Amino acid sequence: MTGLTSTAGTGLAARGARTSQAIRPRLRGRELGLLVLVAAALVAGSVSLGATERLQAALLNGDRQLPLVLAPADAGLLAVYVAALAVAHAALVLSGRRTDQVLLPTVGLLGGLGLLLMERLPQSLAGSLGGLAQTQLVWLLLGLAVLTLLAVTVRNDAWLRRYKYTWAAVGVGLLLLTFVLGRDVNGARLSIALGPFTGQPSELLKVILVVFFAGYLSENRPLLVEESTRVGPLRLPPLPYLAPMVAMLTMALGIVIVERDLGAALLFYAVFLLLLYVATARPSYVVLGLLAFVAGAAVLYQFPALFPTIRVRIDVWLNPFADQAGAGYQVVQALHAFARGGIIGTGLGAGLPTIGGRPPIPALHTDFPLAALGEELGLVGILAILGLYVVLIERGLRIAASAHDEFRALLAAGLSLVIGVQAFIIAAGNLKLIPLTGITLPFISYGGSSLLANSVIVGLLIALSDQGPEVRPPGPPRRGVRPLARRPA
Amino acid sequence: MTGPARSLAARQGPIGAALVRVGLALAVAFAGIAGGAGYWQVLRSSDLSGAPDDAAVIAASRQVVRGLITDRDGRQLAWNARDSHGEPFRVYASPALSGVIGYAATQWGTAGLEQAWNAELTGVRSADPLYDLTRKFRAGGNDPEDLRTTLVLSLQQKAVQLLGSDRGAVVLLDPRTGEVLVMASTPDFDASAVANPTTSAKAFAALQADPSRPLFPRATSGTYVPGSIFKIVTAMAALSSGAISTSTTYPQQPAAETTGLLVDGFRVRDGHHRATDGTPVAFDRAVEVSCNIYFALTGLRTGGRQLLATAASLGFGAQLPFDLSTSSSQVTGGGGSFQGGFADEVELANAAYGQAETLVTPLQMALVAATVANDGVLMTPHLVLSASGAAGTTTIAPEVLRRVVSASVAGEIRDAMVLAVNGPIGRLFTAGAQVPGVQVAGKSGTAELDPGSSPHSWFIGFAPAGDAQVAIAVIVEHGGHGSERASPIAGAMLKAWRAWVAG
Amino acid sequence: MDPTLLAIWVVRLLFLGLLYLFLWAVVRVLLRDLRAAAREPVREIGRLVVLESPSGEPAAGSAFRLDAVTTLGRDVNNAIVLEDEFVSASHAALTYRGRAWYLEDFDSTNGTFINGHRVEGVVAVAFGDELQVGQIRLRLERPRE
Repeated sequence: MTGLTSTAGTGLAARGARTSQAIRPRLRGRELGLLVLVAAALVAGSVSLGATERLQAALLNGDRQLPLVLAPADAGLLAVYVAALAVAHAALVLSGRRTDQVLLPTVGLLGGLGLLLMERLPQSLAGSLGGLAQTQLVWLLLGLAVLTLLAVTVRNDAWLRRYKYTWAAVGVGLLLLTFVLGRDVNGARLSIALGPFTGQPSELLKVILVVFFAGYLSENRPLLVEESTRVGPLRLPPLPYLAPMVAMLTMALGIVIVERDLGAALLFYAVFLLLLYVATARPSYVVLGLLAFVAGAAVLYQFPALFPTIRVRIDVWLNPFADQAGAGYQVVQALHAFARGGIIGTGLGAGLPTIGGRPPIPALHTDFPLAALGEELGLVGILAILGLYVVLIERGLRIAASAHDEFRALLAAGLSLVIGVQAFIIAAGNLKLIPLTGITLPFISYGGSSLLANSVIVGLLIALSDQGPEVRPPGPPRRGVRPLARRPA
Repeated sequence: MTGPARSLAARQGPIGAALVRVGLALAVAFAGIAGGAGYWQVLRSSDLSGAPDDAAVIAASRQVVRGLITDRDGRQLAWNARDSHGEPFRVYASPALSGVIGYAATQWGTAGLEQAWNAELTGVRSADPLYDLTRKFRAGGNDPEDLRTTLVLSLQQKAVQLLGSDRGAVVLLDPRTGEVLVMASTPDFDASAVANPTTSAKAFAALQADPSRPLFPRATSGTYVPGSIFKIVTAMAALSSGAISTSTTYPQQPAAETTGLLVDGFRVRDGHHRATDGTPVAFDRAVEVSCNIYFALTGLRTGGRQLLATAASLGFGAQLPFDLSTSSSQVTGGGGSFQGGFADEVELANAAYGQAETLVTPLQMALVAATVANDGVLMTPHLVLSASGAAGTTTIAPEVLRRVVSASVAGEIRDAMVLAVNGPIGRLFTAGAQVPGVQVAGKSGTAELDPGSSPHSWFIGFAPAGDAQVAIAVIVEHGGHGSERASPIAGAMLKAWRAWVAG
Repeated sequence: MDPTLLAIWVVRLLFLGLLYLFLWAVVRVLLRDLRAAAREPVREIGRLVVLESPSGEPAAGSAFRLDAVTTLGRDVNNAIVLEDEFVSASHAALTYRGRAWYLEDFDSTNGTFINGHRVEGVVAVAFGDELQVGQIRLRLERPRE
């Protein structure tokens, strides 16, 4: 019983720690079973990739006899990753907490699919540590370490809820830093470089924003639910009470938009609205928010001088085929990739034709991994991947629903919404359901910042899912206990 | 905080319910993604993955030995050679084919028929969908297919030779089937030089810099002012709607020939014939003498909407259903508010005899002639007779696109077109189109352009008039009057066609 | 059909199949958790009835359902907000530990009383006990079945 309501937090939590008993390992049978399935699936995928690669090499050589080599594409890479999953599982077992057993295997499978994809792409696309796949593996291992560390150690959330404004300041500081020190990549100023490493602060900012929103909303929920601003006959939500959140959101959006990171802007805004709705159950917030969004987008579309990217993105979305060689190129190529995949796909390693040694989509590994997987795994594979994200969302929202208090509930809801909305934005963008905004596909896309930020999210979710010790004798409190004289009833 | 009961509800109720709703919303959103994936991966799968600009098709086309292309008699039009590295490249039988076959070059991609049938020629897609389904399970990858086209190499070369150093186009097709026998465009270019890796870069750069734009396929993509040949479209609209009959005359017509026709304050002038002797002409004679006043009045009487509707059923206003992509022909710019898009009566009157904002492709006008020739039924034009590969041979059958006018209206127009080539006055304009031993029906056109530049020379027609087996459209850019350049070329082409039929 | 290609396709389809096997296993876990949650509905663990409240906020006679940890005080962030000038912003907390209720006073200015005795530190509270916080009197009651 670690979760305590806001202001009572410190006193009781401190004592809770004192009274806790020695940590006893606790078996996690379901997690183990699911991880075994994950390992089996990844081995099968790797063997499929390996056999295809050797077959294609033979075809390119013009060999008459086609080889059948049923061995993993890169056994070392796979072994290290599966071992890391096992270590993470062991650490969770040793911690003895009654936490969620589905999140780690699901994330493990998504990460493994990403790793297979990186193995399969031209290794020269990106990565400073000996190619695309090896770099991705290093980030995956770091991500798993962060995830496990948070899942094992986070028992008290006071440091999150208490210092929400500090967190907010840190977040905005990070973004300002990008703005000052950032490097331009494809016309967007997204990353800061520290030595050989580059990072995208907007990934970390999404976690910080959720912490801030959850803290502020849980503190002010009654006001936001009960009060109204009256404008003539209209009963609007109590806008003044929203001011701190709106200010924070505007700042984050403003900086993100100036940096032309539209995907992050869309993500922040959607999560903000959804979380506001979760906290208040007032649809008027969502309606107002959507109206503001449509109005804003329309203004930016009408006056392209303000922000030219928006108009280009919307035009490309409406008809990418109008400018296939120019602005619509990536979107059209992605749709072609999906089309080539068909129902069961080409098989790992057999799709993604390269022209002059390059895949047709430059940002395949970051913004279009779903198109790549759609081609090689087909509709069947895409549906499975979507299913994995739905599992993550369901699990996260369930953790939110059974949380002990509002802060934890809103935090868990916000964190799972971040993953769900982000996966939606990029998947729907790839499929031309919404305008394309560059953002990573959680756990699958190449990129350290994204993997680490999403690992933080899942680590926190696992920690928040702690159901506490099963049986706990009531045991007398340690101090100040005095039998009280009973007044006759 | 108004009361404890309410505060209880406010504190404990909504989070759960709102969470469920948000969860459901996300579930719906993901179902939407699944639907989107289904749309692109199942419904649009074959059309996108077989498209000429698909990356897999392009990648395959750079490695695969392409299928052969032959003309309808089996003469090779395109085959393959290998460079010093053993990589295949394309060789073409004649530069005369460049406007229709196009090219396939590693560095520059594909054009023309090579582009339109790229998936089949490289074996990415076969003409048999069942065979495509099992492709995944077969070794060896692609099975390029050979194409047998509807073209006739000798006639194609003859057309280019007749056009000579002029820019222009000739389209010859069978009105009964829609099979295209000749699709020539000049200036032509040496597609083999573009395909050959050793000469490719230089040849292509020179072609791109050439101000006469040889890479531009004029027969399908060039849009020209039609002049008098458009009167055939107006005639179809007027006769089939009942706006006029073949005996219709206009009393004001003879006078207007000298003074000009007053339409809405503007004078539509027509000074190029005096042969009608001051008597109002009826339909046949109006076609024969190519009377602009008659067709201006007919256009006004028929109405813009009817004219546009008939033109649309002939294929105006959209890409034609054809192997190659085509420009769309237009009757009017469409910006106006008068009768379906004309600016005013004056524009309609001028458009009715093929001036104003009217722009047409040579292929479109060949189809107009073919429709008259085929008793009013328009056949879908096509360039490929059959595709054959490992999956077997797939034959492309003739296909009716639609009936445009009744057989009797087509007959009335045919009679007038016979007169336009063979009548005592028509002969003056189109004598060159006559062919000994066979009756030719046709209409010449002189597309007036800006003052100072000589007009486009046009001819459309078909032969034999009573039992048409071939329809033709000829344009020579700035070739002067229809009778000067286009009619003789048409006559020579029809003669050559007769010789080819005779074997 | 080439045997090598067929064998590779068997592996490819096995991979896709294993993805779905994983999903099936996860869904089974999810459903089992759902059923388990349905079997133990969230039981009420106690109620706090307002006996007397001079400010009317909360009104006398109203009742609060208690959470495992329920904080009392004048600040809006408390689970139960008591509008009374003699109540501290963060006054006290009721906690349920498996079988019994305990009350902790957060060193409030005017103290918390159980059946008239001032509370120091943490004390056990029984159902039926009367609490006084500021001028507000409350009674801890058994949960309703």
